[in-house]
Amino acid sequence: MAPSRRLAALLLAAALACGATAAAAGDLILTGAKPDRLFVIDAASRSVRAEFRIAGANGQVGTIVPSPDGRIAYVLVNRMESIVGIDLKDGRQVFRADLSTPEERVKGLFAFTVTPDGKELIAYEVPTRLLPSEYRVEEPRFAVFRTNAGLKAKAVRHYPAQRRLHMLLMRPDGRSFYALGFDLYEYDVRSGKLLGTRGIQKWQLPGHSQPDLLAFWPVTEPSGVFTSPLYSEAQQGGQPAPMTALMSLDVASGALDYRDFEPLSALIFSTVLSPDRRTAYGVYSTLTKVDVEGRKLAARVPLDHTFYSVNVASDGSEVYIGGAMCDVGFYDAASLEKKAMLKLPGCADQSVASLRVVHGH
Amino acid sequence: MSELKPTNRKAELLLEAAAAGQVAEVYAMDTVAGCATTFDPGWEVDPFGGVASLCQPMEADLYGCSDPCWWPAQVPDTMNTYPDWDAGKPSAQNDWRELDAVFPKK
Repeated sequence: MAPSRRLAALLLAAALACGATAAAAGDLILTGAKPDRLFVIDAASRSVRAEFRIAGANGQVGTIVPSPDGRIAYVLVNRMESIVGIDLKDGRQVFRADLSTPEERVKGLFAFTVTPDGKELIAYEVPTRLLPSEYRVEEPRFAVFRTNAGLKAKAVRHYPAQRRLHMLLMRPDGRSFYALGFDLYEYDVRSGKLLGTRGIQKWQLPGHSQPDLLAFWPVTEPSGVFTSPLYSEAQQGGQPAPMTALMSLDVASGALDYRDFEPLSALIFSTVLSPDRRTAYGVYSTLTKVDVEGRKLAARVPLDHTFYSVNVASDGSEVYIGGAMCDVGFYDAASLEKKAMLKLPGCADQSVASLRVVHGH
Repeated sequence: MSELKPTNRKAELLLEAAAAGQVAEVYAMDTVAGCATTFDPGWEVDPFGGVASLCQPMEADLYGCSDPCWWPAQVPDTMNTYPDWDAGKPSAQNDWRELDAVFPKK
């Protein structure tokens, strides 16, 4: 048997042995790892389809935002000072925006997004002016790049931004985008006008304290809804009771919802919503399943170690977990049974890299 | 706030801001990230007052903390000051013996 065919047969056998399903066929999982790796994982066969090295990553691979057609992965690298576009077909770097200049150090703290037509990329910039005798903190801003600008992309327009943002989520109509920070902001794509502010810190949920939110993983697939765990103290019988809620933001309709689902009993870093929107899954040191409609904890199982990020098969059949260390897990969405664990080649840490799902081409 | 004693200039500034009624933008871990913007207690204690809900093992969390400058007092700031701290050591669980202490530059 030729080596390539033997390898294919082995991969197929391994996939069958670990219970791969046809249901997840077509799902490609994207994740990054130190110092410069972008992995494309075939979810059905639990195998690495491609391992790309990102030139100029400078030791860190962070937020990943796929292009709307799923052909390019935009990745925050270079200690949050550069955003690159990687062609998922061959690993070629087709876009690069280096945010800093010799005079100004610019960090794109986690947050950027791409317009639905794929033509523009909007980055959140936190600049510091490097003067001879002092560092001067500049005002944060959004920078808009054309994605066809090549490897020396320069912003075509800027507009002011709130401080302390760390996630941008494009709305599917392409006219505005959400920015998550202390509160939830919405900006006009063309003009940069702040269209509205809704409460996160100022959520004013009756009987609840100011909430605590950690939202670094900009996952809206496959439901079109961004979700995140959120913690607060609710008054119950005159006593404060720590509660865990699920925040959900439908990026199309703009519907924003908070639902307590359990007294705080386990930490959750990030969540994802099933395609039917009835179930959410969260990870940290456990895998949590939330009955969204019933507002209750449905199931929880321990994990081998802490994972940061979670995603779900486009048909809802499996839960994918990643981030932190060097493996990507596949869990049955119904039972939370572990079906497979894929160790990434080289076992480099994924750290805070996003775990995204696109569809094969 | 009256029970807290500032131990550095930034903490003193925070007290001054409190006295002047200007702490509206200072909150404990409410969607913030980056150097010196978080007030989480650190790796010593979890929200339940124990250690069981800290990241397990701590190596799983090491680069997740240094990359975004999450615990600036406990891991090197690889975002700005020590960008090469983890160079050649891509796996915290395998390479932790090679990760050195860092010291302020003179």
